[in-house]
This record gives sequence, structure tokens and C-alpha cells, in this order.
Amino acid sequence: MTHVPEGPAESRLEQISRIVIDDSSRVPVLLWFTSSVIWLLFGSLAAMISSLKLHHPDFLGGIEWLTFGRIRPVHLDIVFFGWSCMAAIGTLLWLQARLCHVRLPWPVLLSGLAMVWNIGVVVGSVAVLAGHGSSIEYLEFPAYCAPFFAIPALGVLAANVKMYLTKRSEHTYVSQWYLLAATVWLPILYVTAMFCTYFGLVQGVSQAITNWWFGHNALGLWVTPIAVATAYYLIPKVTGRPVHSYHLSLLGFWTLAIFYNWAGTHHLTGGPLPAWTITVGVVGSMMMFIPVITVAINHHMTMRGVFSMLKTSPTLRFTVFGSFLYTVASFQGSLEALRSHQEITHFTQYTIGHAHLGLYGFFSMIMFGAMYYIFPRVTNNEWSSARLIKVHFWGSALGILSYGVGLCWAGWWQGTMMNNPSIPFLQIVEYIKPYLILRSISGAGMTIAHLAFALSVWRILSRHHFVMSGPTLFTTQRPPWREFVNEQNQREEIAQ
Amino acid sequence: MFLISMIIWATALLGAVMTVWALSWAVKRGEFRNPRQGAASIFDDEEPIGRQTDFFPAIRQGVRS
Repeated sequence: MTHVPEGPAESRLEQISRIVIDDSSRVPVLLWFTSSVIWLLFGSLAAMISSLKLHHPDFLGGIEWLTFGRIRPVHLDIVFFGWSCMAAIGTLLWLQARLCHVRLPWPVLLSGLAMVWNIGVVVGSVAVLAGHGSSIEYLEFPAYCAPFFAIPALGVLAANVKMYLTKRSEHTYVSQWYLLAATVWLPILYVTAMFCTYFGLVQGVSQAITNWWFGHNALGLWVTPIAVATAYYLIPKVTGRPVHSYHLSLLGFWTLAIFYNWAGTHHLTGGPLPAWTITVGVVGSMMMFIPVITVAINHHMTMRGVFSMLKTSPTLRFTVFGSFLYTVASFQGSLEALRSHQEITHFTQYTIGHAHLGLYGFFSMIMFGAMYYIFPRVTNNEWSSARLIKVHFWGSALGILSYGVGLCWAGWWQGTMMNNPSIPFLQIVEYIKPYLILRSISGAGMTIAHLAFALSVWRILSRHHFVMSGPTLFTTQRPPWREFVNEQNQREEIAQ
Repeated sequence: MFLISMIIWATALLGAVMTVWALSWAVKRGEFRNPRQGAASIFDDEEPIGRQTDFFPAIRQGVRS
């Protein structure tokens, strides 16, 4: 028997459409997501080993594969390519299909590309652990790993463009601009940077510029747009309130698109570069205040009066926390570009604190929020435990706040002391040590949170606690999934 | 060598030109004519404006079960 949801005919069709779209994206989205969660655990393990080595240098000191110079880049690359990119791609595929009101195209191909990407992360990580990595941050994986990422990136771009060109919705929602732009930027950034770096086209100072053009833009023009797009969808959708100012949201996107590209060279302030290249980076970073302020106003004002919903929605709790940290980390990042600021913070723990506030506090928290929304809808199952979700949230939130605040505070004073030649270097090292221990404790909190999250994901996938309708899942009870999809397929066949 | 070292700046410029082109294309296409409708485009009769669509397990519409 086919169950049809109650309500007007148009509503039924909208619901059917959402169910069919979610069904079409199930396998590829789950593959990208579950892979990302597994990499998150490996990334956390590498992070803990790296962090412990900073205050206990002899820890695992006899194993050359786990020396700091190898395990730290592996942590960064696993977290970026394994966790961040795979979570971002899973989210963008689901979100773009939803916003375009079309089925996800080429599910088999996109699933295969997820496996190719996974192979790339495995091969690259083993290569770096074996001592074959480069010393170029974010591009440590050897050149032969490039096809494992470039080809899937082009495949995701093709799927994204196809969805947009065949969309049934009249309007291009602000999130769609961000998603389209991100998928165009990634292949350009990655292929250009790898080509220039590994074919010897750029060396010395030019190589450093290439490195930070890629490194900064990989964060700002790839993962940031996807997280902002997700927040622009989830905050209004979960609260039931349209974006406060749609004008501002569009202004934010187009100014980010124009200005962010130029900010990367601020990482090289004080280096042997022509002064104008640094100035370009500083100006680009200052202009970034415009998109950041638009996003901050919009997300805050959309939430105004309904902050109590943070108590009842896991998606909203993570997403709003991430949006708040976007404002904080972006303001901090723009100020860091200033030469006077860099004089103190460059080569200190401050930079590490800032990087984690951005990639974890902002990006990862929004990805967690997205997964809490998307997993039930593509698995047609309910989350098993509110307690596990709360352990995840508080472990992550308290962990990143203590990590970010602790390292930024320590880094500032570390830089101030390093600028004073009368202070012995070892005294500065002793000053930093308690904060490095705090870093490990904070990291342990985040790792516990990730384990709780992984357990929740395992339970929802294994149908440990199978509930087809429930409060996290849907506001209205949904009918049997497969019957609905079959019914919709039959209708479309008849219509053709 | 100087020209090769300018590859990154040329790529950055290309990105900016592409962005300006995309913006002018979007304006001509009328994407910015009705922002109010745009903001409401993610809602429908089943998930309308004013309805919360995500809750913790065991909490529904603010009531613990």
C-alpha cells in the first residue's frame, strides 16, 4: 500500500520531491560523509601525538615515522583533505540538489570519486609518514597524489554545474552562489599550485607566494564558501525565518569573491618579498571586513529573538556556534595581516590558535551542524541519543575555545618576549609550556567529542536505533521511503 | 623567469575577471530583482516560514516526550 502524506496536493508534491532528492543523494553523500568522519578520527589521533610531543619531546621519539616533522603535516593533510574537503563535498552535493530541486546526477560516479579521493588521502599520508612529503604547507602530499584530488574535484564541479543548469527553481538562492563558486575555485587553485610547485616553474620567493596563494585560498575560497552557504541555508531553514537581509547576503558573497583571492601574501609579511606583494595581501585582508560584517549581521539578526531554539536543535547549536566563530576568526585574521600585528604574532602559537578557530571553530562546527541535519534525511532514520550529541557539542565547543583563547594569549606574549633581546629564549620556552599542555587537554576534549560523534554516526548507519519518524528527523511524519520514491518515479515515467 | 613568477598573479587576476563577469551575467539575468522572494525561496507549504525543522531526539516542538 502506498502512503501519501496528508495536506494539499501541492504540499504532497513538494514533500515527495524532497524525499526523491534525498534518496538520489543517499549513497554518494553517505560515502563522502562517513569517509570524512573516519578521517576526522585519524586526524585527531595525529593531532594528539603531535601535541603531546610539544611538551614531551621523547614521546614516541624512537619511531621515525612518528617524528614531529612527519606526524604534524599528516595531521594537517588528513584534517584538510580527509575531513574538511570530504565533509564539504558531501554537504554541497546534498544542498545543491535540494536548492535546485533536482535529483543528484551521476550517483555512481560521485561515489566512485569519493573512493578515489580516499585513496589519495591514504597514499599521501603514508608517503608523508615515510618521509616523502614536501615541506610546503597544505601541499605536502607528493605530486603523484594530485590526480586523486584533481579528478574528483572536476567531477564534483561537473555535477554541480549540471544541477544548476537543470534546476527547477526559478531563483538562485545565495547559498547556490557560494557553492558554485567554491567548486569552480578548487580545481583552479589546486591544479595551478601543484603544477607550478612540482614542475619547478616557481622556486624560492615565487614558490612561497604560490604556497600561500593556495593555502590561504584553499581555506577562504573553498571550505569557507561551503560553510557560509550551509549556514545561510540551515539557520533560516531550522528557525523558520528568512534571512534578515537578502541584499546584504548577496553583497557578502560578491565582495568575498572579489577580495579574498588577494589576501594570501599576508602570510609572508616580513619575508624577502617585494613590498607591493605584501601590501596587496594586507589590502585584500582589510577589504574582507565587508563580507564578514554582512554575514555577521545577517546570521545574528536572523537568530534575534529565537536564540532559545539553540536548546532544542542540534543543527542550530553547532551552526550558530560556527557562524559566531566565523566572525571572530575572520576579524582576527584581517587584523593579523597588518604589519604592526605581524611583528608580534608571526612565528608564534598565536597563528596556530587562529588557524584552529577558523578551520575547527567555524568550518568544522558548521559541518557537524549540517551532518546532524542531513544524516537523518538521507538515511531515513533518527539520531539515537541526545546525550551523545550534547557530549559532542560541549567537547568540541569547550575544547576549541580553550585551545584558541589559550594559544592566542600565549602566542601574543611569546611574540612580545621574542621581540625583547634581553629575555633568554629558554625562558620563553618555559613560559609557553603550560599552554602547550592546555593545548593537549583541549585536543583531548575535542577527540572525545569526535568519538561520541562517530558513535552516533555508526548507530544511525547501522540502524541500531531505528526510528523512521521523530523530532530530529522531520516536523511531520514521513511515509515509507521506498514506496514514495517508486511512486514518484512511476509518475515521472507516465508524464514522459 | 619574471613572466613565470607572475603565473599566480595572472591566475588571481583571472579569478577576479571571472567574478566580475559572473556578477554582470547575474544582473542581466535578473537574479537580484526580487530579494524578498529570494529569501523565502527555501520555504514551502510543508516546511513553511515560522516552523522549526530540527530538534534533539526526544524533544518535539519544545515538548519532551
